[in-house]
Amino acid sequence: MGSYVLRRLLALIPTLLIASIIVFVTIRMIPGDVIDLMLSQNDIGADKRSREQLVQALGLDRSMPDQYFRWISAILQGDLGNSLWHSTPVLREVLNRLPVTFELGAMALVIGLLIALPIGVYSAMRQDTPGDLAARSFAILLLAVPSFWMGTMVMVFPSIWWGWSPEINYVKFSEDPWQNIKQMILPALVLGTSLSAVTMRMTRTMMLEVLRQDYIRTAWAKGLSERVVIMRHAVRNALIPVVTLIGLQAPLLIGGAVIIEQIFVLPGMGLMMLEAVNQRDYPVITGVFLVVGVTVMLINLLVDLTYGLLDPRVRHQ
Amino acid sequence: MNLSQSKQALRSIALAALLSAASLGATAQAEKPQYGGTLNIGMVYVTLSPLSWDPADWAWKFGQDTGLMYEQLFAADLNKSIRKGGKHAFVADSWLPSDAIRGELAESWKTMDNPFRVEVKLRKGVMFPEKPGVMKARELVADDVVYSFTRLDKSPKKIPTYFDHVDKVEAKDKHTVLFTFKNYNAEWDYRFGWGYYSAIVPKEVSDAGAGNWKNANGTGPFMLSDYVQGNAVTFSKNNQYWDKEQIAGQPYKMPFVDKIVYRTIKDEASYLTALRTAKLDVLEGIRWSAVEELKKNAPGLKWKRSVDTGGTFVAMRVDTKPFDDIRVRQALNMAVNKPEIVQQYYGGNAVLFGYPMHPDYAGYYETLDQMPVAAQDLFKYNPDKAKALLAEAGLAKGFSFKVQVCSCSPDHMDLLPLVAAYLEKVNVKMEIQPMEYGAFLSAMTTKTNAAGYLMRNGHTNPTTSIRKSFVTKQTWNPSQYSDPEMDKRMAATYLERDESKRQLLIKLMTRDIVEKAPYIWLPTPIGYSAWWPWVKNYDGELRAGSERPGPIHARMWVDQTMKKKMGF
Amino acid sequence: MTDTAELPSARSPTRHFFSRLIHEKPVGAAAALVFLLFVFCGVFANLLAPYGFNEINMLERLKAPSWKYLFGTDNLGRDMFSRCLYGAQLSVIIGLSAAALATTISVLIGLLSGYLGGKIDMVVQRIVDAYMSFPELVILIAVVSVVGPGMLQIIGILSLVLGIGGSRIIRSAVITARENMYVHAAQSIGASTPRVLWRHLLPNIMPPIIVLFTTRVGAAILIESGLSFLGLGVPPPAPTWGGLLSGSGRTYMFQGPWLALAPGLCLTAVVYATNVFGDALRDLLDPRMRGSK
Repeated sequence: MGSYVLRRLLALIPTLLIASIIVFVTIRMIPGDVIDLMLSQNDIGADKRSREQLVQALGLDRSMPDQYFRWISAILQGDLGNSLWHSTPVLREVLNRLPVTFELGAMALVIGLLIALPIGVYSAMRQDTPGDLAARSFAILLLAVPSFWMGTMVMVFPSIWWGWSPEINYVKFSEDPWQNIKQMILPALVLGTSLSAVTMRMTRTMMLEVLRQDYIRTAWAKGLSERVVIMRHAVRNALIPVVTLIGLQAPLLIGGAVIIEQIFVLPGMGLMMLEAVNQRDYPVITGVFLVVGVTVMLINLLVDLTYGLLDPRVRHQ
Repeated sequence: MNLSQSKQALRSIALAALLSAASLGATAQAEKPQYGGTLNIGMVYVTLSPLSWDPADWAWKFGQDTGLMYEQLFAADLNKSIRKGGKHAFVADSWLPSDAIRGELAESWKTMDNPFRVEVKLRKGVMFPEKPGVMKARELVADDVVYSFTRLDKSPKKIPTYFDHVDKVEAKDKHTVLFTFKNYNAEWDYRFGWGYYSAIVPKEVSDAGAGNWKNANGTGPFMLSDYVQGNAVTFSKNNQYWDKEQIAGQPYKMPFVDKIVYRTIKDEASYLTALRTAKLDVLEGIRWSAVEELKKNAPGLKWKRSVDTGGTFVAMRVDTKPFDDIRVRQALNMAVNKPEIVQQYYGGNAVLFGYPMHPDYAGYYETLDQMPVAAQDLFKYNPDKAKALLAEAGLAKGFSFKVQVCSCSPDHMDLLPLVAAYLEKVNVKMEIQPMEYGAFLSAMTTKTNAAGYLMRNGHTNPTTSIRKSFVTKQTWNPSQYSDPEMDKRMAATYLERDESKRQLLIKLMTRDIVEKAPYIWLPTPIGYSAWWPWVKNYDGELRAGSERPGPIHARMWVDQTMKKKMGF
Repeated sequence: MTDTAELPSARSPTRHFFSRLIHEKPVGAAAALVFLLFVFCGVFANLLAPYGFNEINMLERLKAPSWKYLFGTDNLGRDMFSRCLYGAQLSVIIGLSAAALATTISVLIGLLSGYLGGKIDMVVQRIVDAYMSFPELVILIAVVSVVGPGMLQIIGILSLVLGIGGSRIIRSAVITARENMYVHAAQSIGASTPRVLWRHLLPNIMPPIIVLFTTRVGAAILIESGLSFLGLGVPPPAPTWGGLLSGSGRTYMFQGPWLALAPGLCLTAVVYATNVFGDALRDLLDPRMRGSK
C-alpha cells in the first residue's frame, strides 16, 4: 500500500506540468489580448508607443517560453504573480476565494450524498416496487431541471411570495458562522440536489450489480440477516463507483459552480475564473488553475487510495 | 390575500400614515436628518467589481469605486440639483454643467492669461485620517496635488496626449497650486479636476502600495474598511470629515450614515430580488423591462427615470464598400422603423434621438425638430425612400454584410435580429456574428471589426463624445470615420475659450455627423433608479463628477424609524 | 443458470425485445414514446411549425397562449410553439450527437486504460487527470472564444468534456469486470485481446455504458443550457431550449411565464424521458438479470 501511495504522489508531478503548459498556452491563444482590453478602457486612441509601454510594464514582451519559466520558478518560491489589472498578488486573491468554494462544495457534496445514498440503496433493495419507481422518478426530475433555473426560482419566488430572499452579504465562517450558513445553505441545497440525482442512480445501479454477485448469494444462503449482508458486503463494493463519482465532481465543486455562485452572489473560484477570462488576466487564470488543479489531483489521489481500501483486488496489481 | 400581499398592504398603510404625519406641520424638506445606519447601494455598474485602487492604473471606474474616500479638486454643486430647486439632474456619465461646478478640495480658483494658467487655492484644515502602518493624520497640502498629478503623468498606463496641454504643475505655497498650460484646452478642468483620474492620493499611500485596498486613505467622508472581491466594498464613516451639508438652511456635519456598502451582484434576477427585499436600499441601473413587476411587488419604492448615458447604434465601416457611399448609410437608417422600436420593443421606454448629445447636455443638445431636415429624415421610417437610395447607389438587388455583437448583452442580442428583420425588407441581409466580450472589444481597438458593429458607447461629455468616435483613428471609432475637416473643427473647439461659441461649434458638428450617418442611429433606452423611501436627501442623482457618485451617496441619510415601521 | 426464455424462439429477437419492454417496463416504454415524439418533432420541425422560428412581429409581442399561438409569443412577437419545435431540433441534435461521441470516447479510453492496465493505464490516467483538473469552464470559454460560438463547436467541446469525464466510470466498471471468472477463462484459453474485449468484457459493461449514454444525452442538453446562461451557448436567434429558458424566459418571467414554462417543460420532459428509458433498457439488457425477477 505504501509504495502505491508513493507512486501515485510522484505521478502527480508530470501531470501538473503537462496541465500547466496546456493552460498557459491556451489562454494566450484566445483572441483579444489583455493589452487591447486595457487600452479599450480609455477614451483616447492608443498609438504604438503607448502599446509598447504597457506591454513592457506587464512583462508581456518576453517570449512565451521565457514567461513560462519565470512563472514556474516563481511558483516554486510560492509566488503566483500579480493580477494584471489589480496589481495584487494572485495567491492572496485565490486564498480569499478558496474557502468559499470549498465550503459550498463540501456542503453540497454532503447534502448530495445524504439524499442519494439512502435512496439509491433503498431503490436497489426494493427494485421495481412503487417505492423504487417513485424514488427514481424523483431523482430524474431533480436531474432534469437546469441548475440555473432552480437557483433563479429559489432566489426570486420567495421574495415575491413572502418578501424574503437569501442573504447576499458574504462573511467568513470564522467571523459569523450563523450568517455564513444562512447564505450558504440554499445554494448548497440547490447544488447538492442536482449532484444527488446522478449519484443516486449510480448507487442504485452498482448496488443491483453487487446484489447479484455470488458472494452475496452465499451470504444469503448462510442465513445472514439482510442488514448484515448489505452493510458488510454489498454497500462496500457499490461504493467504488460512487467514490469515483466524488472524484469526478471535484473539479466542478472546486473549480466552478459558476452558475450557483453567480445567482447567489458567492465570491468563489468559479466567478473569479469567469471574470479573469473575460479580462484576460493571465496570472490570475493560471494561478487559479494551478490551485484548482492541485486540489483536484489530491482529491483524485484520495479516491484511488480509497479504491484500494474498498476493493482488495485492486490493491494487488 | 397571500402573506406577501398582506405584508405589502400593511407597509402601504404604514407608509401612508407616516407620510401624512410628516406633512402635518413642517414640509418634508425640513426633516431633521438622523445619524446612523447602513446603506446598501447597487450602483449603475452593479455587475462589475472594482477594477483598481490605484489611480495610476488609469481605470475609468476609479471614481465610482473610491469616490467616497478620495476627493478631487472640483465636483458637482449638488445644490443646483432639481431636487433643491435648480435645473440639473446630474445624470450625465462624465459631464458637469459649467454653472454647477463647485470646489471640493479647492476653495477657490482663478484663471490668468499669457500663458493660460489656473491658480487653485486649497481649503485649509482638510485632513487625511490616520492610517496605521501607512501614515499619520495630517493636513492636505499643495504638494499632494502636485504629487498626484505627477504620478498620473508618469504612469506607463497613461492615455497618450491626455496632458499634452499641461506645461507644469507647482506648489506655490502650502495651499496654492499653480497649473501652467501651453495653450487653452476646453477640457482642462475635466482632465485633471473632476475627471475620471483626478483623485488626490497622498504619497504615503503610494509608497505603501496604492494598489492594495488595505493601504487606501483619502480626505473623503468615508474610509475603506473592507473589500470582499466579487461581493462588496464597505466604507465606514470618517468622523473628521471637513464638509457640512445644508438641509433646509441648516448646516449639518457630514456624513450621516455609519456605513455604506457598494454591492457587486452579477445576476439581474438576483439584484432585483435584493432590491425587492430591501437588501439593497438603492439600485441605480434598472432595465425598463423589470420596472412593471417591481412596482407591483414593491410598491413602496421611489423611482427616477433618465435617458441612458450611452448611445446604441450599428456602426458601419465607412472605409469598406458599400458603406463608403453615404446614400447606402442613409438608406439603412431610413429602413429601420425606429419609432416602432421605441414603442414596441422598449414599450415607450426610449427616446428616438439621444446620441451623440445627451438630452441633459444643456446648451449643447438640440432636439430632433431643431435639426436640419436631412437629419430628421434619418429617424423617420421610410422603406421606399431607402430602396430608392439603394437603387441609386446601384444596390437595388441588395447586399449582405456581417454585424458583430457582444453576446454579453442580452438586450443587444435581442435588438439585432429586430433590426435585421427591418433591413430584410429592403433586401439587405445581416449576418449576425456574436462575440464574447474580450474578443468583441478587441476587434474594435485593433480596428479589425466587421463592417457592422452593434455597440453601446458612453456619452461622457459634449466635446469627448464627438472626439472619441468621429475623429480620425480614435480608439472608440468603429466606423473608422475620418474627415480632416472634422478633425480641424474638433481641434479648434478645444482651443475655444468662450463656452457659448463652443456650444455652437459642437451643435454644428453634431448636425453634420448625424447627417453623414456613419452609424445606423438607434433609439436610446431609458433607465431607471429605485430606492426605498427611508433613504433621504436623494432623488436619483447619479454622478457628481466623472462616474463619481460618492458625494451624492455621502449626503444621504437613513430614516431608521421609518425603515423599522415598514418591516425591514 | 439458463431459462426457457433463452431457447430459440419462433419470434424475431426484436419483437421479443419490444414485447418484453412493454410488458415488463411499461413506464420505460412510455418514456421511449415521449422521447420518440420529441425526435419526431425535431426532425419534422420545418413541416410542423406554424411560423418560422425568427418571424418577428412587434405587434404580437408577449401574447398569452391561444389557438393562434399555442405557447404564446415572446418579446419580439415570435411564436413560442414554433420556436420550441425548432428548439427540439437543436436540442435533440446536440444531445444525441454529443452523447454518442462522448460515450464512444469514454468507452475507448475506459477499455484501454482499465483492461490493459499497467504502464498504459498509468499514462492514460495521467493525461485524464491532467485534463480533468481543468475547470470545465476554462476549456469551454477558451474554445468558444477561439472558434467562436456555434453549434458544431459546442457539440465538439461537449463531447470532449463529457467523454473524458465519463471514461473513469467505464474504467472502474472495466476493472471490476475484468476480475470476473469468465474473462479469466477466456484469457486462459488464449483468446486474443480484441476478442476478449468485444465478446466478454464489453457485454458485461453494457449496463454502465447504456446508463452513461442516456445520462450524457440529458447532460449535453443541460450543459448547453448552462452555457447559454453564461452567454456562451448557441447564440440567438437559435432557439435552443436552454437559450430560451435562460434568456427571455428569465427576463420576462413575470410578464410572460409561458416564455419559461414552454422550453422548461420541454427540456425537463426530454431529459426525464431519456433517463427513464435508459434505465428500462439497462434492466432489460443486463445479461445477469435475465432469468431473475
